[in-house]
Amino acid sequence: MPPPTTDQPQANVEQYRPELNRAPQGDFMRPASRSRAHSNAKTNGVGVQVEETRICVVMVGLPARGKSLIAQKVVRYLGWLSITAKCFNVGNYRRTSTPQPSAAFFDTSNKEGERLRMAAAEAAVKDMCNWFRKPDNLIAILDATNSTKARRRWIKDRCDAEGIETLFVESKCDDEELIMANIKEVKTTSPDYKGQDPEEAARDFRERIRMYERVYETLDEDEADMTYCKIIDVGSQVIINRIQDYLQSRVVYYLMNLHIKPRSIWISRHGESMYNLSGQIGGDANLSSRGEQYAKLLPEMVKKSAGDLPLTVWTSTLKRTAQTARYLPYEKLSWKALDELDSGVCDGLTYAEIEAQYPQDFKARDEDKYNYRYLGGESYRDVVIRLEPIIMELERSENILIVTHQAVLRCIYAYFMGSSQEQSPWMEVPLHCLIKLTPRAYKTEEERMFADVPAVSTWRGKGTKAEHAPTPAQSVAPSPMIKPEIKVT
Amino acid sequence: MDTLLTADLAASSPAYMRRTSTYVDAIHSLPEKESMAPAQLYSTESGRLFHSGRIVIATVGLPARGKTHISVALARYLRWLGVKTHVFHLGDYRRAHVGQKDQIPVDYFFANASESSVVLRNQITKKCREDIFKFLYQENGQIAIYDAVNPLASGRRALAKEFEKQNVQTLFIETACTDEKIIEENVRSVKISSPDYIGWDPEDAVQDYLKRIAARIPHYESMEESELHYVKMINAGERVIVNNCSFGYLSQRIVFYLLNLHIKSRQTYFVRAGTSRDEDSFKNDASLSPEGEDYARKMSDTLLTHRESERQNLIRHGAPESTALKPLTIWTSTRRRTIETSEYLANLGYKVRQRSQMSALNPGVCEKMSERRIRQEYPEEVAKHELDPYHHRYPRAESYHDLAVRLEPIILELEREQNDLLIIAHESVLRVLYGYLMACSATDIPSLSFPRDEIIEVIPASYNNSAKRIHIPGLPHKIIPGSPEDIRIPVPDSMVGSRIGSGTVSPMSGLGTPAGCSTPPSESGGEAGGMVKLRMKGAGVGPSAAAGSLVDPAAETKP
Repeated sequence: MPPPTTDQPQANVEQYRPELNRAPQGDFMRPASRSRAHSNAKTNGVGVQVEETRICVVMVGLPARGKSLIAQKVVRYLGWLSITAKCFNVGNYRRTSTPQPSAAFFDTSNKEGERLRMAAAEAAVKDMCNWFRKPDNLIAILDATNSTKARRRWIKDRCDAEGIETLFVESKCDDEELIMANIKEVKTTSPDYKGQDPEEAARDFRERIRMYERVYETLDEDEADMTYCKIIDVGSQVIINRIQDYLQSRVVYYLMNLHIKPRSIWISRHGESMYNLSGQIGGDANLSSRGEQYAKLLPEMVKKSAGDLPLTVWTSTLKRTAQTARYLPYEKLSWKALDELDSGVCDGLTYAEIEAQYPQDFKARDEDKYNYRYLGGESYRDVVIRLEPIIMELERSENILIVTHQAVLRCIYAYFMGSSQEQSPWMEVPLHCLIKLTPRAYKTEEERMFADVPAVSTWRGKGTKAEHAPTPAQSVAPSPMIKPEIKVT
Repeated sequence: MDTLLTADLAASSPAYMRRTSTYVDAIHSLPEKESMAPAQLYSTESGRLFHSGRIVIATVGLPARGKTHISVALARYLRWLGVKTHVFHLGDYRRAHVGQKDQIPVDYFFANASESSVVLRNQITKKCREDIFKFLYQENGQIAIYDAVNPLASGRRALAKEFEKQNVQTLFIETACTDEKIIEENVRSVKISSPDYIGWDPEDAVQDYLKRIAARIPHYESMEESELHYVKMINAGERVIVNNCSFGYLSQRIVFYLLNLHIKSRQTYFVRAGTSRDEDSFKNDASLSPEGEDYARKMSDTLLTHRESERQNLIRHGAPESTALKPLTIWTSTRRRTIETSEYLANLGYKVRQRSQMSALNPGVCEKMSERRIRQEYPEEVAKHELDPYHHRYPRAESYHDLAVRLEPIILELEREQNDLLIIAHESVLRVLYGYLMACSATDIPSLSFPRDEIIEVIPASYNNSAKRIHIPGLPHKIIPGSPEDIRIPVPDSMVGSRIGSGTVSPMSGLGTPAGCSTPPSESGGEAGGMVKLRMKGAGVGPSAAAGSLVDPAAETKP
């Protein structure tokens, strides 16, 4: 990311210059932006041709091996790290001609089925190549079974011709239980079986898998010239072949941390703190009496939602999260990385005080909250960078309950829901609300549970005055931004 | 460390050493006091990070497969992240115990060794493992890298069990080669520099060395133990097999790093960009001034002459006439003056890549301000900066820590690059990259200096890197020191002085300012002797000639 190039004369250094507020952000992993001859984009007027790294991640594997789940996750993860990625699902292309095919459609001896499926792959690859023409678009995921060597070679040749790197990702898994869990999910969520009898759908889907098994070829020595990552039995063994560059290694690193077992994540802010009452930000205050009440109610709420599932609780190192979690009967880990966004010189101030003491900053923060860094503190972008170990650990784990702070929760939520950088810092997360997130193949499901304990609202709308939203009536209504799949009150 | 031949290179003790200058790679020293590592995001009370517990990384592989290189590189990266890591080379312990190789029993490495050899072997490994436990439990270490051959499955299982009893996870890293060429090249470049082979024909030396490995370690089993955590790197990272490794964040992170590592060695050169027309630097992207262009030419000529003389040197030492150096690739930032500095070489056909992450540290409000003015207008910030120049941010500026975090992709690409590399960048970027390669502490990095009349060459070696300065002749004096476009974030002289004087803050003399250092060589030499400390007692080997022949002696003392 090039540094800002505002040519404002250096007049009065005492005044903070908002355009610089966005400047000193470490760009964590984004490769140099590309400019190509035909895009007219030149980085600095001397016709520089910066690195071109465009990667097509090609999924390989039988149906019900979690390919779509993985593909969706990669897109969200990269987006969260400011890398533009997009998933091209060949099934979606095929459905335009054949919305709900039976298993016989996937029989390789069915010539018409073969033709239509090849046409769908062609269309997906063509769209993908077009999508790559835009300089910011860096990583595409081609989500399909790609189960034969011939098909994979065809994709590689197509990409080679366009100057796009290929990274094949095979998910190979023979764990019956896991496959069954996936079948169960697919038959209820896949558009292919929408409105069908679930038993019939499951039988047909198993038949479809059998069709693919007949012709399936795993990645092997014949493809030793290709860049690939073969994940066997959900990561118990991973074979990585010919990684070409940093970005590929980064994707592989992420994939290795993933598992496709069903699980949920619960997140909550700490209970209302003394600082919340006084409207101050930051600090390390104790819970208020209402916050304490929430802490006492939390075990029951979690139990109601999670049942007897094994859980681990993660908190920050600040008192208010530990106090909120203290009645939970589970193993607890505290993470420094879950601490609240550091508001630097503004720590301990109220929004009104910030507006009075740092009016320029107050305004600048509203303009670009994601990139705004408090004087001597952190920006949301900084928080995302420090959350990276948390996200990786979260991906490796099963059921986790996280008790943390507003800004950190927004970042974690944005990762799972794919919210944009413009939106996520403004998301409303009320106090005394437990959010359950369940990653599914096609989307993450969200469920919110509110404790019957009133609390102040700490939410401040964009461009609004320097005070928190009024207290009453906020607790039940979710913010307009979020469209929960299911709501439980 | 090489298991057989190059004992003299590490005649030093296996214990921790303190280095005496930033020209010496500090990868084998432990920092005197706890401080945040260059790219560390946060610290914890236990000193361990990511809830990943204590880990021993054990290498597996025959000699000349790059084990030591990988151990040291991994330690470098983990420390950079802030994970307390130390490498224990079993070879060093063996040499400390039995002296030079002549005294090692012939069957020392045999699976069916005689009783006395087994006893000896056990004594040596016991000592090494005791030190590992001491590091992990008494010195708050998190990762100990155990650099040994570990050739047998049974031995590896026993090792993992022994560590497990102490609640330490074991991760094995095997380096395997199916390609004879890679092994031969590795032997040629690393092993036969030993005094044993002076005057030998290189081909004969390689064959002799390989024969000796085969004779001395006749039993070797590649890793297939599916219950153990292991990473197998085949043919210098061409293929990587990761088995049962998802036991913690750090284990995955290590694999990520290994994906970018290769075992071939190459040179890295650091130079500054030429001076530009517009002295107001950060925001304005000005072209080179005439002096800057002159500098670019002279720098390029000096570099090419130097490389040619290196080549001639190789030939003099017996390499065939046709010997070619590794191709040279140039990295610049996307700023105009770095690109234009590379143009002379680009016109000669060298490949130039622009890396946007390599732009200079953002000076924030201090841009274009003199040190005096900064002191006047931001006295409080200056005071904070003096306390912690690495982590402190001037208003709206980037700290060196921010810069280090944003340079992570560059660092991994640096490990990935196979060609020789010339890096043309702003001094702040050079400081951080040099700091990574030479394991400088966070306190040193902001005060490293790269005068324009020198090319800094980092010479890689598996045991440790060393640095060398190449003088660029004929430059006008005014462009040599801190350049006009330099970010004037003050590193006050007073502070540097006091640090050297008291010796309490940092054991380093001259603060490793690669050149133009404020301390006369004699003084730094004297202080160096006093500063070298051995933390571990019992090894009984003095600190003499630490990594002696690997470091160009001229590098340290050149005035």
